[in-house]
Amino acid sequence: MKIEREIRNDHLARIEGKAGVVVEIGEKINARINVTEGPRFFEVLARNRKYEDVPSICSRICSFCSIPHKLTPIEAIENALSIEVSEQTKEIRNMLYFGNVVESHALHLLLFVLPDYLGFADAFSMAKNYQDLMKKGLLLKNFGAMVQEIIGKREIHPENPVVGGFGKLPEEKEIKKIIYGGKEAVRASIELVDFMVEYEYPSFMNMERNHLSIKPYSGYGVYGDEIVASDGNKFKINEYKNNIEERVIPYSFSKGSYYKNSPFMVGALSRLVNNGSLIDGSAKDLLNKYSNFIRADNCFANNFAQAVEMVYFIEKIVEIAEKIKIKKEEKAKGGKSGHGFAVTEAPRGILIYEVEIEDEIVKYMNVITPTAMFLPMMERDAENMARGMWNNGYRDVELIGKKVEMAIRAYDPCISCSVHAVKK
Amino acid sequence: MREKMKLKIGIYGLTSCYGCQLRMASVKDILEISNNFEIVCWKMMSSKGEIEQCDIAFVEGSVTTEKDEEEIKMIREKSKIVVAMGSCAIHGGVQGSLLGEDYKKIFKEVYGENSIDYKAKIGEPLKKYIKVDYNLPGCPPEENEVVYYLATFGMGTYPEEKDYPVCAECRRNGYPCLLIEKNEPCLGPIIVAGCNARCPAHNVACIGCRGALQHNVAWFDSLAITFKNRGINKEEIKKRMEIFCKQSEKIEEIIEKVFG
Ligand code: SF4
Ligand code: SF4
Ligand code: SF4
Repeated sequence: MKIEREIRNDHLARIEGKAGVVVEIGEKINARINVTEGPRFFEVLARNRKYEDVPSICSRICSFCSIPHKLTPIEAIENALSIEVSEQTKEIRNMLYFGNVVESHALHLLLFVLPDYLGFADAFSMAKNYQDLMKKGLLLKNFGAMVQEIIGKREIHPENPVVGGFGKLPEEKEIKKIIYGGKEAVRASIELVDFMVEYEYPSFMNMERNHLSIKPYSGYGVYGDEIVASDGNKFKINEYKNNIEERVIPYSFSKGSYYKNSPFMVGALSRLVNNGSLIDGSAKDLLNKYSNFIRADNCFANNFAQAVEMVYFIEKIVEIAEKIKIKKEEKAKGGKSGHGFAVTEAPRGILIYEVEIEDEIVKYMNVITPTAMFLPMMERDAENMARGMWNNGYRDVELIGKKVEMAIRAYDPCISCSVHAVKK
Repeated sequence: MREKMKLKIGIYGLTSCYGCQLRMASVKDILEISNNFEIVCWKMMSSKGEIEQCDIAFVEGSVTTEKDEEEIKMIREKSKIVVAMGSCAIHGGVQGSLLGEDYKKIFKEVYGENSIDYKAKIGEPLKKYIKVDYNLPGCPPEENEVVYYLATFGMGTYPEEKDYPVCAECRRNGYPCLLIEKNEPCLGPIIVAGCNARCPAHNVACIGCRGALQHNVAWFDSLAITFKNRGINKEEIKKRMEIFCKQSEKIEEIIEKVFG
């Protein structure tokens, strides 16, 4: 086959981690996303260590979602050792987790996505012309960071959350700070949603796709033990290997995942597609108002979905903070051996941990991260973009390349996360 | 007065979690920093810029792929000062703790019999490949340290690394000692200070994320020896130390000193 054009970018900018993209435009249009971030073998790192040390190692998988990579292994370990944490612990963990989603979405939209939409190379140059927008974005980012700092005791890689509970519980005056900051953040997040609807999704990206998310234990929450698919199917977390198949990709250190032999999506859009009816508060009003912006068939809707989620999660953080009366408690304890699973909704989508512990020592761990799940789908969308542009008469390779990058960024890929899974 | 030339800085990432860069990006005064320095390259944050001539390069991550190796050499060539930023860059990071394991074997476990188009190895610190001028410790570094490093360079001087352990900050703050009171394997005695004893402050034993002390401090032996007296065994401390500092050249020496 004669290749007419090739678009190559060895290091995609404004994403987290290292990946490149190659698009070949010939008789057929074909895209490859090369994940060049080196493998770090986290499952091997966890092996033969005391279980208490493992969540601290796991959080280093990724900085943007270090909370999910801390709380999900903790939950898997607790599941394995039959450790029952208190309702209070669950609520505080929820706040912490939601705070991370808010910060991660704010960073992604503000630093990575909006410069694209507005035609800037980065947030620094965007800030000069869009001071108000930048201020709002930073306010949201800082609110999420504050929640993580207060509860986790560090914004990135917090060591305060531990198996069974927390080293130290937040104080009343800190909780008040969360309530106070949250009220301001809700306003800013609603305004950001109104801003996001300015952007039109390219219709040639429309494509039928399966969306996977968890079935939350309560509300539109991030914890659950069941995975639901938009095709109506559902399965328990311990069945994940029978439903999600990981395949090695020769041009990528990350594997790609398949559901029923096909690529699929996870993340904010998938959550709203599957669980949108569970949303309440201002986010629900926004969803009703802008219902046609949640398009299950278009990946660009993911960015809008992130903005709506921010509103929801900030309101929930405030709601929990207003209700909670922190009382002193001991960390929960349990057994020494067992086999456990956990699945949560990290900002970019479902995150799976499986762990086997023998006499307090981790013997086996497996992780599947959101980016490793949606990678094949993201590749399809890179193709869709190139094809759509080409069929619409565009021949400027640089411009097509830029648009392909935008499609990739819509997913908020977390390349650091994607590289390491071990086979059993 | 003639306006001072802005220092050119480059911010780079090798294989890592991107946390040190995120720490940089989320420094509260980041817009001010971007006004006071000229950022020649920051892939995580900008579509423009390649590895270019600059005054100071901040490099995060460990050398894990062939590409990382090429990049770090090029960064060294083009930068007057290279700062290894974070535990990955200084000691290889958590991924560096696999040093000594059979790479081929682990690779096979993960990818089966398949081969991947790129070459990789167990993550290694920058100093194995290039001369590093300064270390900015942390996983990730503290915000005030990032600002301190930038400010000293900005003023034409240089940052000083701390030569005392986390314990010093912990004692100064008057936190209860987890090692003495609860027999927990706190690594505070042998880890470089700067986090203001963040973890003991909330009742969690230090896991050593800032890396091993690079200096010998007189009173450090006496406090560190407490491990032994508390009945915490050498293997346990060693295994914990190695999570972040397996490739620190000081680690054997320190542990030998502590456990004698
Ligand atoms: S030093 Fe820590 S925070 Fe920095 S890149 Fe490495 S793992 Fe991430
Ligand atoms: S051993 Fe740990 S808790 Fe004790 S003084 Fe040192 S840092 Fe603090
Ligand atoms: S106390 Fe130890 S583990 Fe905690 S931040 Fe400081 S160096 Fe890192």
